[in-house]
Amino acid sequence: MRDLVSLSYLPIVLAVAVLLGACARTSNKNETVLTFSGSALGAEGTLVQKQLKRFMVLNPGIRVELQRTPDDASQRHQLYVQWLNARVGNPSILQLDVVWTPEFAAAGWVLPLSRYGPSSGDFFPATIEANTWAGKLYALPWFADVGLLYRRTDLISGEPKTLEEMVASAHGAMSRRGGPRYGIVWQGARYEGLITGFVEYLGAFGGRIIDDKGEVVVNRPEAVRALEFMRDELYGSHVAPLDVLTWHEEEARFAFQNGNAAFMRNWPYPVAAMSDTAQSKVAGKFAVSPIPKSGTAPAGHSTAALGGAQLAINAYSEHPNAAYKLIAYLTAPEQMLERAQAVGQYPTRPALYDDPRLKTAIAIPLDDARRAIESATPRPVTPIYTELSEILQIELHRALVRQAEPRDALNSAAARINTLIDRTGMRKLMSQTSRGQ
Amino acid sequence: MRRISRLRSEARLGWALVSPALGVIALIAIFPLGWTFWESLHLHELRMPWLGQPFVGLANYAEIAKDPRFWAALGHTVFFTVVSISLELLIGLFLALAMNRVFRGRGFVRAAVLVPWAIPTVVAALLWRFIFESQGGIANALLVEAGILNQPMVWFIETATAWVPVILADVWKTTPFVALLLLAGLQNIDLSLYEAAAVDGANAWWQLRHITLPLLKPAILVTLIFRTLDGFRVFDLIYVLTGGGPGTSTEPVALYTFNALLQNLRFGYGSALSVVIFAITFGLALLYVKGLGVRLGGDEA
Repeated sequence: MRDLVSLSYLPIVLAVAVLLGACARTSNKNETVLTFSGSALGAEGTLVQKQLKRFMVLNPGIRVELQRTPDDASQRHQLYVQWLNARVGNPSILQLDVVWTPEFAAAGWVLPLSRYGPSSGDFFPATIEANTWAGKLYALPWFADVGLLYRRTDLISGEPKTLEEMVASAHGAMSRRGGPRYGIVWQGARYEGLITGFVEYLGAFGGRIIDDKGEVVVNRPEAVRALEFMRDELYGSHVAPLDVLTWHEEEARFAFQNGNAAFMRNWPYPVAAMSDTAQSKVAGKFAVSPIPKSGTAPAGHSTAALGGAQLAINAYSEHPNAAYKLIAYLTAPEQMLERAQAVGQYPTRPALYDDPRLKTAIAIPLDDARRAIESATPRPVTPIYTELSEILQIELHRALVRQAEPRDALNSAAARINTLIDRTGMRKLMSQTSRGQ
Repeated sequence: MRRISRLRSEARLGWALVSPALGVIALIAIFPLGWTFWESLHLHELRMPWLGQPFVGLANYAEIAKDPRFWAALGHTVFFTVVSISLELLIGLFLALAMNRVFRGRGFVRAAVLVPWAIPTVVAALLWRFIFESQGGIANALLVEAGILNQPMVWFIETATAWVPVILADVWKTTPFVALLLLAGLQNIDLSLYEAAAVDGANAWWQLRHITLPLLKPAILVTLIFRTLDGFRVFDLIYVLTGGGPGTSTEPVALYTFNALLQNLRFGYGSALSVVIFAITFGLALLYVKGLGVRLGGDEA
């Protein structure tokens, strides 16, 4: 059986063997050869190559080769999983999405970093929490993505302090003569983006998906209220158009950029395009702030979903020490700053937000950016995140399109997540850690 | 004696000559199927190596039997297959009858009607998605203009309306193929039958019911087999158009299997799902060929 299974990876193994062969031919024997995989398209690719070149000059014994992997996260994930099941040591450094680290850690595919003594206190706590499994750190946060509330400064007088205030001002803006068609736009299609939005409303009402003890609490009253609030935006106050139930990030951006919405929930990436007067009708007319909490929930707090990329060491790599050196280099303050300047991605080190050089790199006030990241919460930190997320996506979408009542949908989600936890032997693994959202 | 031995050696030669072909069939059809079945008897989650790969017998099949999402998906598949094929047969027959007439430009019409069939499914699906997407989409604009809708609607957030673009797209794309198959059947019907019927005073409706349809049965049967098997394996169209949503209310079995196998990387469970789909389509094919085939022979007699 084992032989049969390993046969299925034969094409991949062969491809890697050919690649390795190609490397072997050109490398000299004293050199350590690392392979780095990660987002390497366009400006990001130029930046990565520049930084790798500099690293090689500083570390003459190490040569780093760039291995191209798909830019699409789920495709890269599938490729990584196939390679690691076949115990392939390349790429030596993996770029992980923020929700993958526990999965790769529990599978034994990435190395714990404690032996290298990383200074985890220098990073935003949420970014460290997301990369910690069973009390050990497995990846260093490379750049952060964070949910932000965009508002039209010409329509909305100031930053809303509560969700209720946000809905009221959205309603006000819409009903004014010549006001925008939509009050609030977000990502409500049945995909991962729906979970990030839900996590934000959930935190605003003081709810969670899984608590510190590893219990599924996504059907508690706070969570039901959060989901009811989202549904009310669609069917009660009508501040959010039903279209959002089929929208991803880009559709929301188009609506906001064309001046059709007073508020938008999105990541930081649209700032650049929306500030460009050539393509945007709202250039100079928008601001961002952290997503507010609910004014009716005492336990609620302003919550942003955390995204971004992490770097980890392939457990089958022959050169873990050299690999860590490269990770430490790429996540050092100078390289992060350079990355922010080149492609606008947010540093994961709070100290950099006091650096005046970052101000010109990030198009929004540094204080707003820092406050948003400080309010960021990881999605559930668990090895079974992907399947957990799929269950939630379906049940949330069912509630939002009114196929089910919020309470029933969340009860069903909780029951199915518990079944998943049992099926995957997760109770035992989860009891080893006190973390997990 | 000598004759027999020569026959034997000829038989041996025959087997030797077809053995490469048999080997290829075994390699590309039977081996993967057997392997998938073997895989389906194991717990094998690529993402959870800590579970190992134990042999679990029929546990995956038991899980399928209790899985409401699978049964719902099966229901969606049957619904999609029955509705779209009924429409395709009906419209296809109409088109075939029209194309069977002698008129100027017949060749051109026959070729032109095939254009939707020639478009790759994914492209066609994207096209239809574009038509129905968003409140400012073409479908909404046309329906509001015509006074059928009071205001634009979001097609993809309600089960009933999400099926509309799916079925429309399939009918639009596949009816030409059905029409062409039926046209081939029509051309096999002896024209003298119609002449004789006309002499006896039979009208067009009578001719259709008592000559065309009975003699068209073989062609209809072939069409049904092709289309049912296609319908049961529907994937790309729905993947692009609705993604199986809203919720999972338009999800067909093929999409659910893809999800288990390639998104969640549950090789054991996904393989079991694949085996079940294979068994269903294989059973349907047998049913058509055996069941309908026998009755067809009886009719002809």
